[in-house]
Amino acid sequence: MSHTVLICDDAIFMRTMVGDILQQAGFEIVGEAETGVQAVEKYKLLKPDLVTMDIVMPDMGGIDAVREITKFDPSAKVLMCSAMGQQALVVEAIQAGAKDFVVKPFQPSRVLEAVQRVLG
Amino acid sequence: MDSAQYAELFLTESREHVSAINHSLLELERGEGGAEPVGAIFRSVHTIKGMSATMGYGPVASLSHELETLLDRVRQGRRTIDPPLMDLLFRSADVLEGAIEAAVGGDATRVDVEPLVAALKADSARNGASGPAAGGARAGGVPAPSAPDVGAWTAAAPAGAGLLVRVRLATDTALKGVRAFLVVQAARALGEVTSCSPAVEQLQADEFDHDLALRLQTTRTAEEVEAALRTAGDVVEVRTGEDPVVTPSLSDTIADMGDTGEFSALSGAPARAPAGDGTSASGAVRQQRSVRIDLRRLDNLMNLIGELVITRGRLSQISVALNDPALAETVAQATRLVADLQDEIMTSRMVPVWQVFDRFPRLVRDAARSVGKSVDLVIEGKEVELDRSMLDEVGDPIVHLLRNAVDHGIETPDVRRAAGKPEQGRLTLSALRDRSAVAIRVSDDGRGIDRDRVLRRAIADGLVESTRTELTDEELLRLISRAGFSTAETITDLSGRGVGIDAVYNRVRALGGSVDIRTAPGKGTTVTLRLPLTLAIVRSLLARIGDETYAVPMTHVSETVELHPKILRTLKGREMLMLRDEVLPVMRLRQLMGYDGAPKRGLEQVVIVEMAERRAGLVVDDLIGQQEIVVKQFDGVREGLALFGGATILGDGAPALIIDVSSLL
Repeated sequence: MSHTVLICDDAIFMRTMVGDILQQAGFEIVGEAETGVQAVEKYKLLKPDLVTMDIVMPDMGGIDAVREITKFDPSAKVLMCSAMGQQALVVEAIQAGAKDFVVKPFQPSRVLEAVQRVLG
Repeated sequence: MDSAQYAELFLTESREHVSAINHSLLELERGEGGAEPVGAIFRSVHTIKGMSATMGYGPVASLSHELETLLDRVRQGRRTIDPPLMDLLFRSADVLEGAIEAAVGGDATRVDVEPLVAALKADSARNGASGPAAGGARAGGVPAPSAPDVGAWTAAAPAGAGLLVRVRLATDTALKGVRAFLVVQAARALGEVTSCSPAVEQLQADEFDHDLALRLQTTRTAEEVEAALRTAGDVVEVRTGEDPVVTPSLSDTIADMGDTGEFSALSGAPARAPAGDGTSASGAVRQQRSVRIDLRRLDNLMNLIGELVITRGRLSQISVALNDPALAETVAQATRLVADLQDEIMTSRMVPVWQVFDRFPRLVRDAARSVGKSVDLVIEGKEVELDRSMLDEVGDPIVHLLRNAVDHGIETPDVRRAAGKPEQGRLTLSALRDRSAVAIRVSDDGRGIDRDRVLRRAIADGLVESTRTELTDEELLRLISRAGFSTAETITDLSGRGVGIDAVYNRVRALGGSVDIRTAPGKGTTVTLRLPLTLAIVRSLLARIGDETYAVPMTHVSETVELHPKILRTLKGREMLMLRDEVLPVMRLRQLMGYDGAPKRGLEQVVIVEMAERRAGLVVDDLIGQQEIVVKQFDGVREGLALFGGATILGDGAPALIIDVSSLL
């Protein structure tokens, strides 16, 4: 059975790209969220095996969303999607419960490696 | 991965972000919204940076990167907001937009971002950019230290109890500081990390080569530790156990001890993201989920619906003739479905006016600044929807009206002050939807149009009788929309670019709309454009000649009268119509169409049609009434059809030709 993924990013562009990478690798995209609030709601609803989380989103940022998701499910597997220059934020996200991170621009191989690490 | 498929998506989203950036910049300049505009701009720039880097659009990525760095400083209050900064940011938004379009257009070199990138860097440098908070600048601007020789460990062995563990990261590790932190996290899962080198703060700040060392008190075997730490990712080498030869100098040892930090310091180390960084609500970036569809497709759909309506008409007739209840019910259902489908297609062509209006605040700001005026543009009714092609067409006329208002309507600050008005002029652009039309209104609180001057000029040109002492709004509009009509001052050459209100007027009328103007001396001018919701649906007056039906778009119909013989005159061999104190040329549709004989019934009807300042009486046999019709364009102008702008299918399935009033006059 393929792993289920929830993709959280405010840019359709990024959601599409991450979705394509994961789909081609056999993952099942079960949901997308464009704000932190949506991410938390959809996590509770869908209980995906993996969450990819953008850091900068309107409404509720990715870090707070990770915190909320981890509070709800301590075993949640969240992969942060970051850009250059966000070291401090990524560290904070990991302290909040994120398992790993990838850096934009995304290279499919990097994304898939990180996903494999997160899923163990 | 082939990125080309994402270019379209990138362009759509980037345009929305550029629009949002401009929107927030104007807010920022007005000092509204506190910290939120900077946060919103930062988020948009950040998103563009990520997307453009992914697409490989170097100039866009480097520009947005520098811009983000500067914005981060502004956000942290380390760069004050002043006019030079605003100019730099506005310029950045323009260049960024150009660079985005150029990159997607496959000609990234068309827009040179380097001068601006240099200006942004210079601004950051002038205002003391160095410091750990300018994370963006460091990550992108300073090249990573060159990779050490594989095999050489650069991190000093930390003092303390536990197993010495050395970890080397790949030289191309992204955000190696964070990766190092993940390594430490993995180690902590195995036992207690008593010390680390370099210290955690330095690791996080990327201030290390590619290796780190730590002391771990654990019950696990060395092999287990190595395996566990490799799962942190980007780890190319793990070594456990004391270094074979450790001969650090005394000074190194002291420095190392200073660098050695406790992990408890970690929790307080990273600064919490400021409120603007994605944690607060924002409406500035509009979420628009969309699929781009070629308008021609929608036009085709509209045409097909027309065909379907014809077929439905025939089907209804057959059904009535057969008198079969089951068939009648099915036909009735199909009729409803066709109507619903028609509605859906119409709706799919509708877009909110903000898609065009959003660029106006910036335009008005720039126009006002260029003439030394201060103008506050208020936009109302952004969500009102209009047919996409209509919206595209009406953009230019609105630009004219806005420029007119800024150039000629609104006075300079000193004149306004002298007149007892606020120094800042107020310009309102509003969109309002009513039943079957959208009213777009441009209203200023400026000096208004000088009626007396227009009247004197009109009398001098022989356009109105010399005995007149005042003009109605309708007359005023008709006069100033005459091409070339102008008074000594720039009353009609309002746009300042040689295009007067006549251009606006004709454009809007060509779209099936109407223009209305209200002006009061010293109080301001309001121009209202009334537009049909869509170009494809036109409210029309249906008229009959013999057994044929013709449609006259209502936007060109001013009134209808019965053709009493007493209102007809013949002047110089031409039939003229006396309408109150107006003399209008008469056109008989029956003759234009080449019908023989006279209408069956007694009194014919006259449709008073108008186009710009021209009016005429169109004589028809009879009037049927008003109806919304779907316009089906001809493929090309055919012989003898020049008088018609298209055809339509009426409710009963019968065709009707649509009269093109502009070619008639």
